[in-house]
Amino acid sequence: MNGDADGVTDAPAAASPRPRRPRPRPAGRAGGELLFRLADDEFVHAERLTEWQIYAPTLESDLALANIAQDEFGHARLWYDLLQELGYTEEECIWRRDPDDWTHATLVELAFADDGWGDAVVRTYLYDTAERLRLEALVDTSYAPLADRVGKALAEEDYHRDHAVSWLERLASDDDARARLQAAVDDLFPHALSLFAPGAHEDDIRANGFRRASLADMRAEWLDTVVPTLEGYGLVVPEPDDVERPAARGRDRTHTDDWGDLQAAFTATHREVDFDRPARLRGEEA
Amino acid sequence: MIWEVFRQEKPGDYHRHVGNVHAPDRDMAKLFAQIQHARRMQTNSLWVVPQEEVGEVDTEDAAFGGRTDKAYRWAMTYNDIDSSFAQEVEDSEAEQREAARKRREQLESEGQR
Amino acid sequence: MDIETVKERAGPRQFGPNDDMPEEYRKAATRMIQFHANSEVMGGYLDKEFTRHAPSLDRKLANTAKVQDEIGHAQLLYRAAETLGVKTRDEMLDELQNGEGKFLNCFHYPVDSWYEAPMIDFFVDGGAMRRQATLKSTSWTPYAHAMDKVCFEEGFHVKHGESILRELMRGSKATQERTQETFEEWWPRILQFFGPTNDQSTHNDFAMDVGLKTVTNDELRNSFLNMYVPKAEKYGLEIPESPRIFERDDGTMAVRESDLDWDEFWTIAKNDSDGSHEQIGSRARRQEAVAWVRDSLDNWEGSAAGTPQAAD
Repeated sequence: MNGDADGVTDAPAAASPRPRRPRPRPAGRAGGELLFRLADDEFVHAERLTEWQIYAPTLESDLALANIAQDEFGHARLWYDLLQELGYTEEECIWRRDPDDWTHATLVELAFADDGWGDAVVRTYLYDTAERLRLEALVDTSYAPLADRVGKALAEEDYHRDHAVSWLERLASDDDARARLQAAVDDLFPHALSLFAPGAHEDDIRANGFRRASLADMRAEWLDTVVPTLEGYGLVVPEPDDVERPAARGRDRTHTDDWGDLQAAFTATHREVDFDRPARLRGEEA
Repeated sequence: MIWEVFRQEKPGDYHRHVGNVHAPDRDMAKLFAQIQHARRMQTNSLWVVPQEEVGEVDTEDAAFGGRTDKAYRWAMTYNDIDSSFAQEVEDSEAEQREAARKRREQLESEGQR
Repeated sequence: MDIETVKERAGPRQFGPNDDMPEEYRKAATRMIQFHANSEVMGGYLDKEFTRHAPSLDRKLANTAKVQDEIGHAQLLYRAAETLGVKTRDEMLDELQNGEGKFLNCFHYPVDSWYEAPMIDFFVDGGAMRRQATLKSTSWTPYAHAMDKVCFEEGFHVKHGESILRELMRGSKATQERTQETFEEWWPRILQFFGPTNDQSTHNDFAMDVGLKTVTNDELRNSFLNMYVPKAEKYGLEIPESPRIFERDDGTMAVRESDLDWDEFWTIAKNDSDGSHEQIGSRARRQEAVAWVRDSLDNWEGSAAGTPQAAD
C-alpha cells in the first residue's frame, strides 16, 4: 500500500505521457483494420447488451447477461490496448473518434425494444457464433501480440455460446416466445449478413498472415452453423441471397441512426469532464 | 442410492460438504449420516441430498471468473486510495486480496497466466 | 419460541430456519431484509446510468462489475428473506413492482450525470457498508451469511467510488464546481440515509431487542460522519452549512436533525415523491416488458423438459 500518495490508478497522476509512436505503416494499417473491426464490434455489442443490466427478466438472468457484456467490453479492451501499442490513444480509439469512423457491424448497434429479450438472445447467438469463428481464425496469426490475447478471449466464449443456445432452446419451446424469436431473426439476420464483409485492407491482412482464413470461407461456415441451428428450433431463416439488405453496412463505416444516438450518449461525459487521460484501472494483484 | 451429506458444526455456521452415504431413501440417509458423519465431529445440523440431484460444473467445463484481466473489480487495484479510514473497507480489501491470491495460484498451476 | 425467549437468547447468528420463531420476529425480519434486498435492486437503477456515462473504458468495466455485485446481493438477500417463511421472492418482487415495496431514500432520486457517481458509489455505498458490517452480527443466520458475502465485495465499490471522486476533484475548475454542486444536492439525502433518530423510528426498538439490529441509526450516522466528512474535505469538497454538523462532548460528530427535511423523507418512505413514482414506474415498466420471458421459463419448468434429471 502506498497510502494516499499519488498512484497509478487515475491517469493524470501517472507517469509522464507516453511518447507518441509514428503512425503505422501499411502492414500496420492492415493490422489496424483487423483490430478496429474486432474492437468496435465488441465495444458496441457490449454497450448495447449492458442496457439490459437491471432490466433483465430475473435476477439470475440479469447477472449472466451483464457478465457476458462485461466480457465483451474486456475483449474490446484487449484489442484497443493493442491499437495503443500501434500508436493510437484510448481517446482516438473510442472517446474522440468520429462516429463515421467506426467499423462495427450494424447488427450490434441496433437499439433494443423494452421487451426485446428475444432480440438479445438471437443477437448474442448470431454474434457469438461469428466471434468464435473469427477468434479461432486468429489462433495461428502471424501477429504475435494478438496470439496470446486470442486464447484468453476464446476461453470466455464457451459460456457465451452455451448461454445463447440454452436460451434459444427454452424460448423456442413456447409458441409466444418463439414468435418473438422469429421477429428478432427477421430484424437481425439482414444486418448479421454483413458481419463478414471485407474492409479496404483485407488483402493485406491475409498477405501478412494476420489471418489465414478468408472472410468468404468464414461467412460460409457461420451460415452452415447458424441456419441449421435456428431452423432446428422451428425458426424460419431467409435465403441469404434473397435478403433485402439494409442501406448501412457497418464495415464500410455507414451506420443506422441508432448508432449516432448511442455514440453521442456514451461519449457525452468524456467530452464534458475533459480529463487529461482516461483512467486506467489495472493491477498486478488480481 | 447415494446421498451427499452436508454438516453444520454450530448454529450460525455454513453447512459444508463432508461426504456421502448409501441409503434406500431420505429417512435412512438421515439415520446413516448421523453415524457416518456426525458421531464424532461436533454437529448442529445435517443435510442429505440425493447425489443425482446435484449438478456439477468444474474447471474442465468452465473458465470460472473468465481469463481476461479483471483487476478493476478488486479493491487492491485501487491501491492509491487509503482504505484504513474504515475498518469494514480494510477488512473487505484483505479478504479480496486473499481470494485473488488463491485464484492467481490456481491459474498459474493451470499455466493460464 | 415466545418473544421473551427470543429477546433473552438474542445474539449474533442465534436463529435460523430450524427454529420455531414467533410471527412478530419473522415479520420484522422479513420487513428489514426485504427492504435491504429492494434497495439493492433500486440502487441499480441509478448505478446503471453510470455505466453509460463512464469516461474511460476501465471505469465502464468497473461500473458494470459493480452493478453485477449489487444484483447478486439482491439475490442473496431475497433468499435470506424467504427463509423466514413469510413471503416468497416472487411476492416480494411483485410488491416492489406495484409500489408496496419499500427501499432506501437515496434511491428515490433519479440520476443523470457522472458527477453523481461518487455520491452513490462512495458516500451512499460507504454508509451502506457501515451498516452492513454491523449486520454480520444479526440474529437471523441466513441474513448474516448474506452479509458475509456482501461485505466481501463492497470494499471494491467504496474504493472505486472514492477513486471517481478524487479524479473529479482533480479535474478542471468547472468539473470541481459541478461536483461540489452535486454534493450539496446529495448531502442531506445521504445524512437521511440513516433514518431519523431512534425514538422516531417505529421498528427500531424491537429490531434491537431481538438482535436483528445491533447498532442504532444514530450511532451509524455519527460514525459515518467521523469517517466520511474528513474524506470529503480531503478532496476539496465543502460541507454545506446546513444541515449543521456539530461536535459532541466526546469529540464525535453529529447532525442537527431539525435542519433536515423530514416531510420529504416521510413522503419518500411512503413511495410517494415524484422520484419514487419515476423510479418505481421504471421498475414496473421494465419488469412488465419482459414478463413474457418469465412466463416462458415457467412453462419450460412446468413441462417434462424442466425436471432436474432432464436438465442433464
